[in-house]
Amino acid sequence: MANEAAKTHPWHVPEPSPWPIIGTIAGFTMAVGGIWFMHDGPIYLFGVGVLILIYTFYGWWRQVIIEANTAGAHSEQVKVGLRYGFIFFIASEVMFFFAFFWAFFHSSLPILNNVAQVWPPEGIELIPASGVPLLNTLILLSSSATVTVAHHAIIDDNRKKAIRWTWITAILGAVFLFFQAEEYIDATFKLSDGIYPSTFYLATGFHGFHVFVGTCFLAVCAMRLQKGHFKPDHHIGFEAAAWYWHFVDVVWIFLFINVYIWGSSSFGHIAAG
Amino acid sequence: MSETAHADAHDDHDHRPTGWRRWVYSTNHKDIGTMYLALAMIAAIVGTAASVVIRLELHEPGVQFITDFQFYNVLVTAHGFIMVFFVVMPALIGGFGNWFIPLMIGTPDMAFPRMNNISFWLLPAALILLVIAGLIDGGPGTGWTVYPPLANADYHPGMAVDFGILSLHLAGASSILGAINFISTIINMRAPGMTFHRMPLFIWAMLLTAILLLLAIPVLAGALTMLLTDRNFGTAFFDPAGGGDPLLWQHLFWFFGHPEVYIMIIPAFGVISEIVSTFSKKPIFGYLGMAYAMAAIGVVGFIVWAHHMYTVGFNVETRAYFTLATMVIAVPTGIKIFSWLATMWGGSIKFDTPMLFAMGFIFLFVVGGVTGVTLANAGADQAFHDTYFVVAHFHYVLSVAAIFAMYAGFYYWIGKMSGKQYPEGLARLQFWVTFIGVNILFFPQHFAGMAGMPRRIPDYPDAYAGWNMISSWGAYITAVGAILFFVVLWKTLTSKETVSANQWGTGANTLEWTVESPAPFHTHEQTPSISTQPAE
Amino acid sequence: MQNSRRLIIGINSGVAFFFAAFAAFLASGANAAEPKPWQMNFQPAATPVMEKIIDFHNLLLTIQVGIVVLVLGLMLYIIIKFNSKSNPEPSKTTHNTALEVIWTVIPIVILIVLAVPSMKLLFFMDKAPNPEMTLKITGHQWYWSYEYPDNGGFEFDSNMVPDEEIKPGQRRLLEVDNQVVLPVNTEIRLLMTSEDVIHNWAIPSFGVKMDTVPGRTNESWIKVTKPGVYYGQCSELCGVNHGFMPVAVKVVSKEEFKKWTAKAKKEFANAKDAPVKVVEMNSPAQAKLR
Ligand code: HEA
Ligand code: HEA
Ligand code: CUA
Ligand SMILES: [Cu+2]
Repeated sequence: MANEAAKTHPWHVPEPSPWPIIGTIAGFTMAVGGIWFMHDGPIYLFGVGVLILIYTFYGWWRQVIIEANTAGAHSEQVKVGLRYGFIFFIASEVMFFFAFFWAFFHSSLPILNNVAQVWPPEGIELIPASGVPLLNTLILLSSSATVTVAHHAIIDDNRKKAIRWTWITAILGAVFLFFQAEEYIDATFKLSDGIYPSTFYLATGFHGFHVFVGTCFLAVCAMRLQKGHFKPDHHIGFEAAAWYWHFVDVVWIFLFINVYIWGSSSFGHIAAG
Repeated sequence: MSETAHADAHDDHDHRPTGWRRWVYSTNHKDIGTMYLALAMIAAIVGTAASVVIRLELHEPGVQFITDFQFYNVLVTAHGFIMVFFVVMPALIGGFGNWFIPLMIGTPDMAFPRMNNISFWLLPAALILLVIAGLIDGGPGTGWTVYPPLANADYHPGMAVDFGILSLHLAGASSILGAINFISTIINMRAPGMTFHRMPLFIWAMLLTAILLLLAIPVLAGALTMLLTDRNFGTAFFDPAGGGDPLLWQHLFWFFGHPEVYIMIIPAFGVISEIVSTFSKKPIFGYLGMAYAMAAIGVVGFIVWAHHMYTVGFNVETRAYFTLATMVIAVPTGIKIFSWLATMWGGSIKFDTPMLFAMGFIFLFVVGGVTGVTLANAGADQAFHDTYFVVAHFHYVLSVAAIFAMYAGFYYWIGKMSGKQYPEGLARLQFWVTFIGVNILFFPQHFAGMAGMPRRIPDYPDAYAGWNMISSWGAYITAVGAILFFVVLWKTLTSKETVSANQWGTGANTLEWTVESPAPFHTHEQTPSISTQPAE
Repeated sequence: MQNSRRLIIGINSGVAFFFAAFAAFLASGANAAEPKPWQMNFQPAATPVMEKIIDFHNLLLTIQVGIVVLVLGLMLYIIIKFNSKSNPEPSKTTHNTALEVIWTVIPIVILIVLAVPSMKLLFFMDKAPNPEMTLKITGHQWYWSYEYPDNGGFEFDSNMVPDEEIKPGQRRLLEVDNQVVLPVNTEIRLLMTSEDVIHNWAIPSFGVKMDTVPGRTNESWIKVTKPGVYYGQCSELCGVNHGFMPVAVKVVSKEEFKKWTAKAKKEFANAKDAPVKVVEMNSPAQAKLR
């Protein structure tokens, strides 16, 4: 590449790229299609948007992977930058969940909204925390351990082991999602049954979506491992997936403690006084 | 055609893509910055047009020409949104930030140039959604604060509010990605020797703004998502009938909304600091105090949100806390004001247009700031809330201060960006027209507000006629100022007069003045090194 | 330089404008319970709360004018003394610890001086000391309804008089068909809620401004010291006709109020069959009421 040769700085300035504008078109299509769907239109326009988005992810990250495998593009300094970028992305995600936790506590703690109400609201048949939620907690916690095992395997240049444990982590994620789907199907309350299901489904639902994204991310990493992309000293993609996975894990712990245990127990009743 | 463009792109040593690809596929911080500025200018025309229509309707009591009051509410909403999300933020953060962060910290580009591009392109997409929102199903007549229940499906059943929500989602995504990019760039890519305590204040401002964006915007995104599901999927976050609470929205909105106002003014602080120091031919006074004052404003900005909610029925302790916390912000802001004055003190000041706007900024920001302190007192706010006094307050800090900083930054840097000299005489005229215009426009609104005139009304009791008429005349003068700005822009871009690398002389000593004007497509290919702090 | 002279002249006229404006700001003060043309100041106080707000604001305004004038004065001095002509050699000062401490500490002191009366005002306006009666206010799109729970429990709606029906001498956009009638010198508790969206019940000369939020009952209070008619407007955006749901309160002597309630009980009797649905909640005030 002509310009790469001329540079004397360590930074990576990529070629002009079509992906950002394609991604924008995806977002725009999803927005318009989503609104159309919500106002009793068909869903296909939204679907088209999603497809374009997936295409964008595929094309864009494929490009990034090519660069990662090209000598010189990802210098040490660039790697540091990528790590910073991902950490700040996770920080913004934390604040997104912050909003849903706020909604949960605002609705369940009378001290925050000055209107005494009972929490959990009467007539809601609760999901016992000791059942599927506890199981899912154990699954996610152990997946946190397995991803660490995989990470160490990469650092030790033990590719086979790394591949195995990365797949195990991804599968644990999928199992979590399976149980969560079960939980949703078995739940006796619908999304539109008031404030309890609202906070419950949106908080756990967005978490579930993040588990889904993390699972895909891990699966991609496993495949990249199989292709031999990651080196003991160069595996930013895997690191990012692992951080993301820990973040998803921590959010779950907060959900489990607050929404499932505290929010569904008699504690709630006492607080509502 | 596409073939040649492609071939060019590879043969050119300077590696400068041509044709539409240069812009649409851009990974160049300067081109992206230019696109942000262009978008801000286009949006400014729309936002200004809306505000002038508002002022025309309010010129006299009675209905002038807006017979559909929903349309009036939509205009106010659109005006607020456009000015905040599509004028001030893109110009000060996207425009100046993209152009001058890499130049000032001595690095060739942003950390993630492709992501930089999507940050930009999401904005026109969001703007289109907002325009659609205004045109269908009666438009969103909710105000820019979008309070439910008014914003719920019961009271805004059409698609308009949904389009507004999705517009903000895209604009928010743009801001979050931009913030990640800015922070990573500033933390990681400073030239060797440029420690945090040697960064220009503009860079400090951009760093802090990006942090505020990163923490505040996702909360808005979460709130908007709840509103969307309330409207379309039967959730009850903000609906008392289902056990929800409309005030939850207000908490979430203002937890974002108050930091948002500092997101708009901290970049302005950065621009003003550079200009004041350059034109006084003096290093900035109390550099570290200035930097940490901005940080303090940012931190405290997160714990004062409910001062917008003094009349919702909080208990008295809550209001007392938010009163005291809000007043604290006057202290770091005062440090900034006095440090600017001290920078000018003993200086050898040239009153070119950027400096005129900077001085206008300092004085009028104080006027807007002290009325903020009035509003901060929950007791007094009971008289002021939702009156034109509030409108006067926030236009003094926004339409006056933030816009002055935009104009100031434009005149300060247009030589660097275009290589052309702006017409000084005409530019000064533009300053004076705008300065006089905004004061006639917004000062009388204090009086109307004290006399009791509520916000967001298309017609008012006859007694308020006088001040409204004057205010409307001020709006027309200010709009003439804006038109003059475009004349200056046109004259500059078509001018034959070029500028040197450092057109402002010895006072201007940040790195962007070491590269030629216009700044070449690629800069800082050889990394500069820095050994002093701006204050030394 | 000629430039700086031009600048000074310009700034002077700006200053003149501000001084004139601030002076008028302080001096004005017509006497009426409604806004007056070219009014620059608050409407005259009719309750102790509003009196205290005005007193507090006078303090605020004095200090703030002082700050603005100080900054302006410093800037003018700088323009005259430190332009490139009168001061060709810039100084190199960038630090002065004493100065920095001063401009940090003095604002803190000023804020403390403000905070004390601010808190006094806030706690004074919060709760009625000994309410003698209660008025229930409910916001609707786009009118108010009022209920007198301890004067017979009758209730009525209060709609704006449209422009076409305004009689000479009446105030456009402020007059209503049924005014709220209240006794003078009586501590009255106001309980407010809404049937639909958020509204805000506000009367400038009472110093009252309180959101009516669906699902909540908010409380405020007044004690009007002078008989008369007082006007206000809905102060929270509530949709298309937000600008057209005024508040008008007629304050009369206690005897007249008795007579009026007797009459009103009959007049609004029909309405009593369909009482306002105030959403029941455990607000202390409401509990006492029941
Ligand atoms: C750039 C935007 C911006 C900025 C910088 C500010 C700055 C401040 N704002 Fe403002 N504000 C808005 C934009 C902004 N605001 C908007 C848009 C709204 C309305 C939103 C809506 O409802 O639509 C609003 C509304 C608003 C309210 C709610 C009013 C209401 O609805 O009832 C309040 C109340 O506390 C408030 C307070 C303040 C304070 C205390 C500051 C402080 O930061 C000001 C600090 C500055 C100074 C004080 C001057 C300089 C200091 C000195 C010279 C030192 C000495 C001074 C003293 C000792 C006092 N603002
Ligand atoms: C940055 C924000 C901003 C700006 C610049 C303005 C500018 C103006 N505003 Fe705006 N306004 C708001 C933010 C802003 N406003 C908000 C948030 C609300 C509340 C909405 C709500 O209630 O929901 C509001 C509400 C509002 C009202 C109250 C309506 C009501 O309550 O009924 C009125 C009425 O007079 C008004 C008038 C004006 C006028 C005449 C201008 C004039 O000053 C316009 C003149 C134009 C300019 C000065 C800008 C020119 C800029 C350029 C030419 C760009 C240059 C580009 C570069 C240098 C890159 N505005
Ligand atoms: Cu009711 Cu505004
Ligand atoms: Cu605020």
